Amino acid sequence: MTVNPGSLLRPPYILIGPAALFLYLFSCVFPAAPCVAAAHPDALKIGVLAPLSGPYAAGGTSFVQAATLAVEQANAEGGVFGQRVTIVVGDTQGRVDVAKAEALRLVSREKVSALVGAYLSEETVGVMEVAAAHRTVLLVPVAATAEITDKVRREYARYRYVFRVGYSIPQWAEMIAAFLSDRKVRRYAFVGAGIRWNRELGETLERIVAPLGIAPAYTAYYSPGNPAFDTVAVAAAAASPDIVILADPGRNSVSFLKRLRESAPALPALSIGGALGDARLAASVPLSAPVYVQAAAWRGVSAAATAYVERYEHRFGAPPVGYSDTLPYDAVTVLVAAWRKAGSAATEAVVPVLERGTFAGAAGAYRFDDAHQADWGTGPGALRGIFVRWERDGARIVFPPR
Amino acid sequence: MASPLPQVLLDGLFAGGTYALMAAGMALILGVVKVINLSHGAFFTLGAYVAYALAERGVETPIAAAPLAAVIAFAFGVFLGKSFVNPARSHPFALPVGTLACALLFEQAAQMAWGPHPLSIGADAPWIGPGGLVIRRWGVIAFLSSAALLGGLRWVLSARPGLSLRLIAEDEEIAGSLGMDVEAIRYLTFGGACAMAAAAGALLSPSGAVTPTMGRAPLLLSLVVVIVAGMDSVAAIFLLSIGLGIFGNACAWFLSPQWSYVALLAAVCLLLSARPAGIVALAGRRD
Repeated sequence: MTVNPGSLLRPPYILIGPAALFLYLFSCVFPAAPCVAAAHPDALKIGVLAPLSGPYAAGGTSFVQAATLAVEQANAEGGVFGQRVTIVVGDTQGRVDVAKAEALRLVSREKVSALVGAYLSEETVGVMEVAAAHRTVLLVPVAATAEITDKVRREYARYRYVFRVGYSIPQWAEMIAAFLSDRKVRRYAFVGAGIRWNRELGETLERIVAPLGIAPAYTAYYSPGNPAFDTVAVAAAAASPDIVILADPGRNSVSFLKRLRESAPALPALSIGGALGDARLAASVPLSAPVYVQAAAWRGVSAAATAYVERYEHRFGAPPVGYSDTLPYDAVTVLVAAWRKAGSAATEAVVPVLERGTFAGAAGAYRFDDAHQADWGTGPGALRGIFVRWERDGARIVFPPR
Repeated sequence: MASPLPQVLLDGLFAGGTYALMAAGMALILGVVKVINLSHGAFFTLGAYVAYALAERGVETPIAAAPLAAVIAFAFGVFLGKSFVNPARSHPFALPVGTLACALLFEQAAQMAWGPHPLSIGADAPWIGPGGLVIRRWGVIAFLSSAALLGGLRWVLSARPGLSLRLIAEDEEIAGSLGMDVEAIRYLTFGGACAMAAAAGALLSPSGAVTPTMGRAPLLLSLVVVIVAGMDSVAAIFLLSIGLGIFGNACAWFLSPQWSYVALLAAVCLLLSARPAGIVALAGRRD
């Protein structure tokens, strides 16, 4: 058999026509997503690190949308010392190596003044090293591992540029414990994707609720790639807990909850940090038993939270989920406020302002402690978060009592 | 229910049904067109989005969405088969890479059209069987559909209408010399297999979340099933799918949920190392 070498090039040629037509039609029908702001040559740049592809793309997209909204808000208020603010986005893909590479690109090539991100705890710990090496302010919105603020406390000189806007694992566990106690829960099942913050949260929660007479009846972590939903749902229901705590930030939370409802229609569920804050998803899940969602802020909690939700809904056509969007929005808002207070975007000027100041966000007033951790929890003056219960006509705030 | 184990095993049976549903089309493409189609999962996703689009318009029955999804996927599949698969078949690396590129292109298109956020279709309540056994509706649909599809495929291949497919699978040159339009049968088969994947996606869409990348896991598992079972026996594909479903769930129950996938792939590796040609050769029989 003879092979014409030229024919080896045939397949790509064949595809060029249809592919070009396809891409052209798509670009006409679906214009480029407006969430990624173009870099402006004389603007102050914020580097935003979030997974826009891979298993956490949904949360990452909300993350970038919320950051965009905060920047638009800042520019509508006149920018920062007369300069416009823009964001430059790095797609972390949910991978540590990519997150570090993107952080490096944003800092060294894009010359961003500060970083906001990343999404997963693993990614963020990696990005911290880049921020420390380049002395760049890093605001952490959602990554919850205790390691982030532990590092700031232990090696302040190296990591003093890092501030966490979102809640740490112990703070998160404290808020969940207060909710469980309020609901008179005695036994709970803790189920989630087998990723770092879930395991940390599961262990910390167990320790924090023990003095309250609350104990886990079942704990399981499934593989995010190919989760064994059926078996986990059956086992969780068989353990007869008072509630199932579902710790999954992605699409699997919906699938798992459907299986759980099939196995135990009367078993309440609490979703933390997951996609179930989305009203469209909640509408597809049977509400034969309560479905609770924990969020950083929610419509109706405060004027600022309501204004944020309405702006987000108006801008992106759907309400925020209250976690992977709200906290990045607040991170950018805090950063812009710090720049204004400092009168400069220079790291050495901004760090002391962030350390000493109080900053208003959608979730409330942010203050940072010695480890650069925002004050979340149940104490006086702390940011308390919110727990809502889905009902047929929308979400109802159930905790903290108002 | 006294022990959850029967429930775990029943769910494994249903999970196996979902593997078999995807493997049916994959086996057809591998057997007749003789290519590894890495865009098979994208057609599964397409079917789920068709079901979602219909549900948004008030048609919430996936059974109604399946025929529409199959027709759309058949048209796409025929286009892909005619414009790319047939011309590129002689180049061993072009097809896997090309079909993978098509899958990624589709995922991006779905993300642009519907966004990366998970979407969801309401699922009907399950039936409750003896002893409180939960009989998941989507599981029953998957099991029965896969049995029907693979049974139908076996009948077609053993009866007169399947003669041309069998002949092409055995020897294309002889089929061509007998006046058969080999090219047309290949791309029509490709389209038919894509239609089967899309129908599977539509039927299973209420069981979980609809996302642009939802077809990846079924693609991998169906490919594994077809390779391990061998392409000569439809019954082996069905039985192996069911076996792997039950085995995966049993591992999740007795070991840990995180171990089920690892154990499943380890079992597959063992089977392949024992019998690289597939387990049918082990059993010593052919359909």
